[in-house]
Amino acid sequence: MTKNNKISSILIANRGEIALRVIRACKELGIKSISVYSDEDTRSVHVKRSDEAYYIGKAPALESYLNMSKIIEVANTVGVDAIHPGYGFLSENEGFAEMCERNGIIFIGPTSEAMEITGDKMKCKAIMKKARVPTVPGSDGVIDNVEKAADIAHNAGYPVLLKSAFGGGGRGIRFANDEKQLKQEFEMASAESKAAFGKAALFVEKYLQRIRHIEFQLIRDAYKNSRHLFERECSVQRRHQKLIEMSPSPVMDQKTREKVGEIAVRAAAAVDYLNAGTAEFLRDQEGNFYFIEINSRLQVEHPVTELVTGGIDLVKLQISIARGEEISFSQQDLKMHGCAIECRINAEDPFYDFTPSVGPVPNCNIPYGPGIRVDTYLYPSCTVSAYYDSLVAKLIAWGRDFEEARIRVRNALDEFTIEGINTTIPLHKTIMDEQNFISGDLSTDYLERFNIIDKMRENAKEESQRVSSAAIAAILLQSEFVKKGMSGSSMTSKAQLQKSKWKRIGREFNGI
Amino acid sequence: MEFKLADQATVLDGELIRTVGRESILIKINGKEHNVRLLKSGTQELEFILDNSFHHAKILNWSSSEIKTLIDGQVLTIKKHSRLTDVLEKSLSLTSFGKGENNLTSQIPGRVVSILPKVGSSIKKGDAIVILESMKMQVAVKAHKDGHIKEIRAKEGSTVARYDVVAVIE
Repeated sequence: MTKNNKISSILIANRGEIALRVIRACKELGIKSISVYSDEDTRSVHVKRSDEAYYIGKAPALESYLNMSKIIEVANTVGVDAIHPGYGFLSENEGFAEMCERNGIIFIGPTSEAMEITGDKMKCKAIMKKARVPTVPGSDGVIDNVEKAADIAHNAGYPVLLKSAFGGGGRGIRFANDEKQLKQEFEMASAESKAAFGKAALFVEKYLQRIRHIEFQLIRDAYKNSRHLFERECSVQRRHQKLIEMSPSPVMDQKTREKVGEIAVRAAAAVDYLNAGTAEFLRDQEGNFYFIEINSRLQVEHPVTELVTGGIDLVKLQISIARGEEISFSQQDLKMHGCAIECRINAEDPFYDFTPSVGPVPNCNIPYGPGIRVDTYLYPSCTVSAYYDSLVAKLIAWGRDFEEARIRVRNALDEFTIEGINTTIPLHKTIMDEQNFISGDLSTDYLERFNIIDKMRENAKEESQRVSSAAIAAILLQSEFVKKGMSGSSMTSKAQLQKSKWKRIGREFNGI
Repeated sequence: MEFKLADQATVLDGELIRTVGRESILIKINGKEHNVRLLKSGTQELEFILDNSFHHAKILNWSSSEIKTLIDGQVLTIKKHSRLTDVLEKSLSLTSFGKGENNLTSQIPGRVVSILPKVGSSIKKGDAIVILESMKMQVAVKAHKDGHIKEIRAKEGSTVARYDVVAVIE
């Protein structure tokens, strides 16, 4: 790693809210921001806000945001100093980091060597064991046959999880309650892994019941200085993907924070990590922490940490470290300050098994006010594309304590309206009002354990009844007043006919 | 007029009583009188004060049997009460309505990953017919009724748009 690198322009190899987040950091630092876009994103906000925008290909990600050579070609033509990958897409692709290195472009993230290790769960686990970082009981490496898998599962104790070494984000994980089920799942998982990655690389892990997902934000510079920026509790999940993140965790005391934080720092050193990353842990009911992996990128939920560390800007910090600067604060300088909660607003229908919901958003109202931050790419008349991730906004609230942050998020959710698509907003409203969430009784099966979806349906019914008078009033107004001056409007003649008939009949019916 | 909230048993009775001045209106909902002040009205969009609370409403869809509204950012479907619907349907002689119900449409755009049943096979309501990939997720388009697959319009590997017919079920 060369030190004292000049960065005066950055290409952002991403889209959506995270591209906008990086553009804002660039503007603050006086760095020229270069964005890239696909056919689907010509009207997207990152294209509008960046200093320059370059077209890179068709809508499917493989032909645009995952097209490494095209992105490098743009970077070389424009002559950028660095590339910020955001999260998702190429952010954890060591091949891309290496391509940047070869082309003399600074990759804002870890070195390709470190990423190769963190991307390989088995290799990473072996190194962590050597560094005395506690890991989940299970196989030490990839298992090639079903008998061996059954042996290990027997020793670790059922139930167990079968995981693909190449999976991520909840994909490629299978559950087995007993040996018979394990054998079945092993065959299916092998076939699936071969189809997706060309090789079957499975490992067995003890399934820990009622676990919490707690992670530590890490930062490490080129001079081997490491800091942790405290924890984030991300236990509220759907389909193994995070829905709500917060800091501090309701179960973390200062002593444990220091202890696990020190383990996280040790984990980063073990892989010679560079720049911002996250050490993920599982915590069982007895309070044991098990390291699972290092996410070698800026996380979706990074704003939570920014708000509780008194405003450390993680993107600016990433850029500073990529420039070869030293971390300017000590571990003791960092103080946990208040509480922050983030809700991921996804374009999914929580009433219908989280089915994607896409299309034009004619209007939206983005909340603001004391302690409220919204990172989003939405604006009135934008479009939510089916080609990319369903995250459309992150609503983050800061408060002096959990209760203040929770009430702020709850009120902001009432202000947050997104027309045209279904979102996870109703689900977040239910969770913020829910007793077990309030008392901090969280686990990765929180939604199922407390029947949250059913509660959401009940709440939605109550909410409809609450606004029903207003809806009736609107219909009465619409049929009586608006329609009168509406001849020659843009309505189709059929609709017009139906409406006038409906009105006439309505009148007859009411004896008017 | 009587209205019913979709998926709920509640029946609401609403009527317009009289206008009071230029933009103030007296309405009655379930026997209770309310004051309404119309602030803004477009063809599909309204702003008004009901008693002392502000409301914003959009009329998303107005059909013979139901009205889909967006009220304060929340979608609410109001069904016209059945007695009225009876009268309506007779008058409009809507006997031909419901023609398109054999068509299974996709509610989301996506790439067709796989097609599960073959033409001719019998299926039950809720069975997965086509698997789509959208927003990096795999989503099933499920049968809306029992029947036989008459035709499959979706092709593996191709993309479908929202409301495209993926299969015909008879």
